[in-house]
Amino acid sequence: MNSISTAVHTISQAFPEGATAAEAKGIAAATNAGLAYGLAAIGPAIGIGYLVGQSVQAMARQPEAAGQVQTTMFLGIAFTEALALIGFVVFILLKFV
Amino acid sequence: MLGLQALSDSLAVLAAEGEGGGVHFPPIDHIVKWPAAFGDGQFWAFNKIGLISLIAMVVPAIFFFLAGNKAKLIPGKLQNVAESAIDFVEQQIVLPAIGPDGMRYLPMLTAMMFFIWVGNMFEVIPTAHMPANARMAGPAMLALLALVMFVGVGLKHNGLHYLKEALFPPGVPVALYIIVTPIEILSTFLIRPFSLAVRLFANMLAGHILLVTFSVLTITLTNTLSPLIVAAALSFPMLVAFTAFEFMVAFLQAFIFALLTAVYIGSALHPSH
Amino acid sequence: MLSLIGILAEEGAKTINPVVPDDVGEIFWSVISFFGLWIILRYVCLPPLLRVREERAAKALADREAASAAETQTEQVRRDYDTTLSEARAQAGRIVEDARATSDARRAEAVRQAEAEVASIKQAEIASIDAARAEALTSIRSDVSELAVSAASVVVGSDLDRAASQATIDSFVDQAATKR
Repeated sequence: MNSISTAVHTISQAFPEGATAAEAKGIAAATNAGLAYGLAAIGPAIGIGYLVGQSVQAMARQPEAAGQVQTTMFLGIAFTEALALIGFVVFILLKFV
Repeated sequence: MLGLQALSDSLAVLAAEGEGGGVHFPPIDHIVKWPAAFGDGQFWAFNKIGLISLIAMVVPAIFFFLAGNKAKLIPGKLQNVAESAIDFVEQQIVLPAIGPDGMRYLPMLTAMMFFIWVGNMFEVIPTAHMPANARMAGPAMLALLALVMFVGVGLKHNGLHYLKEALFPPGVPVALYIIVTPIEILSTFLIRPFSLAVRLFANMLAGHILLVTFSVLTITLTNTLSPLIVAAALSFPMLVAFTAFEFMVAFLQAFIFALLTAVYIGSALHPSH
Repeated sequence: MLSLIGILAEEGAKTINPVVPDDVGEIFWSVISFFGLWIILRYVCLPPLLRVREERAAKALADREAASAAETQTEQVRRDYDTTLSEARAQAGRIVEDARATSDARRAEAVRQAEAEVASIKQAEIASIDAARAEALTSIRSDVSELAVSAASVVVGSDLDRAASQATIDSFVDQAATKR
């Protein structure tokens, strides 16, 4: 128990009580950035999973159309992924700017 | 309890400020911003990104020049590679996205793909470790070019009919144009180039940050001389795995950028479908 | 929160924004490089490669056409040969048929002639036989009638009417002739 409290204390030492405005900004930015990216990643993750799964199914059913399915799959991934990447850009903007 | 004690000690080492230790993730300026080698402050300020851009121009140019210089009917090794590259652009990008009449955009799409690919590859080339497209300059320029290209192609081949098709898509009730037209303007002329640029830029920047993070982690963990050194045994393989992954991403993003540009040009060339 | 935004706005000016292309030099060199590469590929590097590809495609097409032409020619020659062969075969068959027909006709002619000859000979024989028989019958009839009348007159002892008994005798003789 003592060790845990020591660890917590050690971590909290990084952010002492009298945090300056810059540090407060850093904390808020890090939290919000992580939250923004995490939320932005949920939808595209589901979408890409569904998309690739369906593409694999299509390729397994019609192996002769695999090339075309693959090209279309990459296109779909690109469009879906854009949302996650915008989330990443928001993360960068929040965290570093 | 002993384990937790060791953990807290190690965390103390990691969290410690100053010279004694601690994980120092570099601020983003340090990993993407490079000082100018010459012409600082001028519009020709030449830094690492400029150098990589020049290399990304010179390498494909020399490659295709050597391959095409003594082009023979029965190809040599280099010519074979160059021709399969052209075949790839033709079979995977031009023909599916535009069609047989898109062959005149083949040089542009080839240049685009190779420029982006070589620029991206510097992410994983040792001693360089900086993708040129992790700076917004290259992607924004290329996306703007793509916008100019597909609007220009649409206007050139279909005239004002292209604008009419793009802004007032057929088969929509007239009343709905109040909603549809602003959305179309936004999605065609704004979101298309924006998402093109952001897709490439954010992918490369994310990969770059990922590699930097795992490098810093590996270096710090090996230098701490604490029990946490075992975690380096996890972070180092991750670094290797992500480097391999970034090889794939570097090519994939170049391919997707060229493919999407071709798709946009194709939709401007044949607006009916 | 508002103060945080104020701090963000205040410090945002100092730190770099990685999302905005803020370095003009990078844009400049990117533009130079990309358009340089485009122009080089468009006018210097790709034309010979594309030309060679087209030449190869044209050559392959020509070769394929030549091959198909040769194949057509072969087919033609074989068809000609087949035609000639079948014609020759038909002619041979026709000759054989003609010969057979001729010989058949000749044989039939010979047979017919022989048969006609045989028939005429037979006719003559039959005619002579008939004549002989008729003669014999006539003589027999006169003889028999004479014999019968004389025999009867001997029996009766008086001359019988020859003409009256003649009919009876004739019917007998005719009966005998048909009975034969």
